[in-house]
Amino acid sequence: MLPIQFQINTGSSEPIYRQLMEQLRRRVAAGQWVAGQELPSVRELSAELTVHPMTISKAYSLLEGEGLLERRRGLPMVIGSAHRKAASGRERIEQLKPTLQRAADEARELGIATAAALALYEQLLNDDPGSPR
Amino acid sequence: MNAPLLHAAPQVQIAGLTLAYDKKAAPVLNGLDWTLKPGQVVGLLGRNGAGKTTLLEALLGLREAQSGSVQLFGQPAAGLDDSARARIGYVPQGSDLFENLTPTQLLAYFKAFYPRWNEAKVEGLMGRWEIPRDQAIGKLSGGQQQRLSIIRALAHEPDLLILDEPVASLDPIGRRDFLRELVDHVINRGTTVVFSTHILSDLERVAFNVAFLKAGRIALQSPLDELLEQTRRVTGPAAEVAQFARDHQLATLASQAAQAGQSRLVLRGAWPAQLPEALLVQSVSLDDLFEALT
Repeated sequence: MLPIQFQINTGSSEPIYRQLMEQLRRRVAAGQWVAGQELPSVRELSAELTVHPMTISKAYSLLEGEGLLERRRGLPMVIGSAHRKAASGRERIEQLKPTLQRAADEARELGIATAAALALYEQLLNDDPGSPR
Repeated sequence: MNAPLLHAAPQVQIAGLTLAYDKKAAPVLNGLDWTLKPGQVVGLLGRNGAGKTTLLEALLGLREAQSGSVQLFGQPAAGLDDSARARIGYVPQGSDLFENLTPTQLLAYFKAFYPRWNEAKVEGLMGRWEIPRDQAIGKLSGGQQQRLSIIRALAHEPDLLILDEPVASLDPIGRRDFLRELVDHVINRGTTVVFSTHILSDLERVAFNVAFLKAGRIALQSPLDELLEQTRRVTGPAAEVAQFARDHQLATLASQAAQAGQSRLVLRGAWPAQLPEALLVQSVSLDDLFEALT
């Protein structure tokens, strides 16, 4: 079980609340953050990331609506009870698809041959697998 | 956390504000309307010389306009009573501190004006931000003066905080400390904040709303995340771009330079899932929005 921590990128076209949602979805799908694990409060996380608290609460509320998070009265939010283990391989592949779609579009725009793009992806996958990004 | 009272009466209401320094030149502010609701945190964006400082000074009643009105907490800005004045905090762009006083003397002086003065907060920040207490302010570094100016503005826990380039002379650590204080102790109190800066990454973190000042008016104000999601840049044959914008009722925020026969529009609205192959559609960042809207 990994500790719950988020990373945000400014200057992106992806709003910060979406970045938070996507990170949470991926970690939960991978089984790294699991049912019952407590999330930092809105206040704690907004201070830690120095972002407006409404940005955090927006991400939390939308994920609660999806059942990924559960709110408990007067207690920290937790990862939803349906997420005890990693999602199936097929679901995780589905989640990766948009990112790879973008990478494929960019490879085409750059005129990179399929074999070269695949070789690069393979190399990146094998690079230093344990280190955090 | 106090939920922002978005339905409550506005704290700042500006209507038809026109202000010119030179009667013959175009006015800096030209019939500007702007409303800030309690608890809103708004990043004010504009190019150099767009009039951000003029706007903030006029908002505070420090500059007389040729026409239009400014109301703060429902009172005319030029004639605020003492209790309304005590609810405002202001960090001006340049240092306006008395250079011959020490920080200790300066803070003692200001304390007398404010019924609500948080001594513990002042002491905490003076220590954390390592400001020499007994050295003449004129001898402090630019960053130290700026931090002192911020402490002075936060000390009385204002309901309305106006920040004009508050981090310009701070290093990255100083900026992060300031933003953390802003998020954890100012925004969380439900304070209304206006923040002008060119450091867009800071703005993106703390400003839930952004307002763009252009040609003497607020051209657009919106929650930043909605603006990022609803706006894209579309490039292609001029007729097709125009047709596409019409078909999907997309609003044109800006028209940018493109090759002959082509057009490049920054459009906002609800986007269809399927985009025409003939058009290049790109998502935008805050930098792109700044370029398009200021």
